[in-house]
Amino acid sequence: MPTADELGRGLTPTWCPGCGNFGMYRALKEAIAELGLSAEELVMVWGIGCHGNGADFYNVQGFHGLHGRALPLATGIALTRPDLTVVVEMGDGDGYGIGGNHFIHSVRRNIDMTAIFHNNQIYGLTTGQASPTSDQFMKTPSTPGGVVEEPVNPVGVAVAQGATFVARGFAGDIPHLKELYKRAITHKGFSVVDVYQPCVTWNKVNTFSWFRDRVYKLEELPGYDPTSRTKAFDLSMSTFHELTCAPDECRVPIGVFFEEAESFTYQDGLPQLDRPMWKHAEKPRDISTALARYGG
Amino acid sequence: MSETPLELRIRIGGEAGFGIKAAGQMLARSFVDAGLETFDLTEYPSLIRGGHNNYLLRVSTEPIYSHVEPVDALICLNRETLDLHHHELVDGGAVIFDPDDFPAEDVPARLRPVPVPLTDMARDAGGKIMRNTVALGALLGIVGFPLDYLADSLRTQFARKAPEVAEGNVKAAQAGYSAASSALPDFFVRLSPVESAPRRMLVDGNEAIALGALASGIGLYAAYPMTPASSLLHIMASYEREFGVVVKHTEDEIAAMNMVVGASFGGTRAMCASAGGGFALMVEAFGMAGVSESAVVVGVFTRPGPATGLPTWTEQSDLRYVIHAAQGEFPRVVVAPGDREDAFTLTWKAFNLAEQLQTPVVILGDSYLSDNRQSIPAYDLSQVTVDRGKLVTEGDIPADALGDDGRYLRYKLTEDGVSIRVLPGVKGANQLANSYEHDEYGYGSAGESAEVRAAQNEKRMRKLELARTLVPPPAYFGSPPDEADIGLLFFGTTKGPAREAASMLAREGIRASLMQVVTVWPFPADEVAAFIGTAPKTLVVEGNLTGQLEGLVREQCLLRIEHRLQRYDGRPFTPEQIARRVKEVL
Repeated sequence: MPTADELGRGLTPTWCPGCGNFGMYRALKEAIAELGLSAEELVMVWGIGCHGNGADFYNVQGFHGLHGRALPLATGIALTRPDLTVVVEMGDGDGYGIGGNHFIHSVRRNIDMTAIFHNNQIYGLTTGQASPTSDQFMKTPSTPGGVVEEPVNPVGVAVAQGATFVARGFAGDIPHLKELYKRAITHKGFSVVDVYQPCVTWNKVNTFSWFRDRVYKLEELPGYDPTSRTKAFDLSMSTFHELTCAPDECRVPIGVFFEEAESFTYQDGLPQLDRPMWKHAEKPRDISTALARYGG
Repeated sequence: MSETPLELRIRIGGEAGFGIKAAGQMLARSFVDAGLETFDLTEYPSLIRGGHNNYLLRVSTEPIYSHVEPVDALICLNRETLDLHHHELVDGGAVIFDPDDFPAEDVPARLRPVPVPLTDMARDAGGKIMRNTVALGALLGIVGFPLDYLADSLRTQFARKAPEVAEGNVKAAQAGYSAASSALPDFFVRLSPVESAPRRMLVDGNEAIALGALASGIGLYAAYPMTPASSLLHIMASYEREFGVVVKHTEDEIAAMNMVVGASFGGTRAMCASAGGGFALMVEAFGMAGVSESAVVVGVFTRPGPATGLPTWTEQSDLRYVIHAAQGEFPRVVVAPGDREDAFTLTWKAFNLAEQLQTPVVILGDSYLSDNRQSIPAYDLSQVTVDRGKLVTEGDIPADALGDDGRYLRYKLTEDGVSIRVLPGVKGANQLANSYEHDEYGYGSAGESAEVRAAQNEKRMRKLELARTLVPPPAYFGSPPDEADIGLLFFGTTKGPAREAASMLAREGIRASLMQVVTVWPFPADEVAAFIGTAPKTLVVEGNLTGQLEGLVREQCLLRIEHRLQRYDGRPFTPEQIARRVKEVL
């Protein structure tokens, strides 16, 4: 079982000093190490963005895919390799913008894998344009008059679309995030973890201190029941904030919004997935029964 | 007279939704079961109800490779069929029709009207829905072909329904048979079963490709429906439990191609397919398969484009598109099956090539291949091989795949360009497959070094030279090139009509030599150049407007082909059309 340090023996991280990705990187390595996943059973997949540069920093079995397409790429692995644990990392533009269609369909499939979204509410790698989760009226180089649309509500979309595990973390609280990751990876079914990960270079509004003043933990919210889909949805709607909102007026919950411990996963619907599918190609398949159907 | 093969050419026409294709295929099945050879052609508009559908069936006592223009018997399930198709009939050709649809006097005098009360007889047998069956019986009645084979086909077709359904259909066929044989007792074609004929399969191109993929050990097929590839998704899905294949109808073709790359990363033989429009969505991930050195198989089945184009018709206009698809440069193999024997063989070979080369392989087909059935010798499964190339699925990683620090190098620079591929799950298989340029380990940021970029780019392209030694060579038919009056050059499904044209020309003393470019990429420039220089004249025959194959010859062989025949109206070539053009050229 690799330690957290061993999981990080790739190249030296090149994220901006203070980048929220560092916290996510550390929390995930520690979560994997504490879960005791072996190097052979873990596969990671990345989309494209600053988060994706992390592909070089880990030392795991992995695939650094295309912008927006990490989920179907990971699905191809998850649906053919029941012996592997698949963890996918994406950005907000990557996962909710260009990859939004895959996000919706991956959620409704309830594929047993974990999807982590690095949500910094901005495009980092392409130098600061508005992202699907940028606050309304935020000014960026691609929206000099301010963003006109409502931001995507990833937690609400996931909950509404039938996700069986939906959580939100904050890169500034590594121990809390690590625990969320552990629960997500252990969860049987599709796990969505949206992580607020402040971009210190391009997003001057939603900073670490902005979040620190506003986040609170759901597990500390008296009476919150993460098994209620409607409560989770209502809560997701309450987290939209305005750029100028005061800390006491816009509270940002983090933690597990919703969890359905027992659910029917996509893999459960595939009785043929009784072995790694590559084993079917060890020799030519005898299809004589099929040929007979065509007269052969 | 007895030397001439016996033939019967039938067209069945009616409104879409009448079950014309299903009826025609049942008739084809009956003839093949009786030892005859068939080739069919379905023509239909892009809708579910209404509009004109028609089904052409050619039956012969000898092997046949395509449809032909003339028709001997026309089954009219509505009036429109007579108007649209009577001119195709040979003199003395039969017109089977329901006198409720139009009077016998409407049938041109050079033809033989065969009035059969289709609707009344169907109703008597149990339901109007059996009208098609009455007509099939009538067709067999005029050629004196025993009804037993059709009766068997009907019983097989309706085996899962109540017994009276099958028996009602048999009764309907019998009624049509008797009525037609008395109405036209002296039709010029008589057909009989062929005794002790070799066993034949009846498959369309998508069925052939599915069988090839299954035989090769496919573990994942992902697709989004698009004509003419949709039936391949249905066929694969119908076998998912029996043979252990994950078949995924994805949210779009982008997802399909990415899933295939992911499955390939896990070592699974995986494929996706679509028409050219769906392939357009796959292209970015197709390029990722190239740079990440993923073994994937992609079916691109051309229908006339651009955009939605003509969904249910055929063309050969995606040749340039598939050999150039995706930004940047990487090696790929493109094979173009000419018929349903090629389709099976080239599909299982495509999986081997993809893994030997660790790069994408395209099966370039078209609607003419996908939609139409042909009788062919049963596939010989003992010929199928699985070659997974440099793949480690268990045990220790070979020393020559390790770097100086003892770590596995997924993209190690090698002489032939192929690196040892170690499956995730094998001890020490930590690796980074990458859509970015990368170094030998797979690190993207390290790929930005000028030296690393150039080295990895060259490494990948070396695989194209290796491919030249592995890919299926061109195929030759007809007269030997050095004895021929003319050489015909083509790719893909033009093969069938070209072979038939060569036989027609041979009967007139014209010797045609045929070259099918089977692997269109890497282009077999040496073989094509040698072929062009041999016969006194060369004609390139291709189903597109701009002469894409001819252009490739100019580019790759630095040679011009003077004579061309192109078709781009959505229809496949006919042998007659090719033979006419050859005679013009000579």
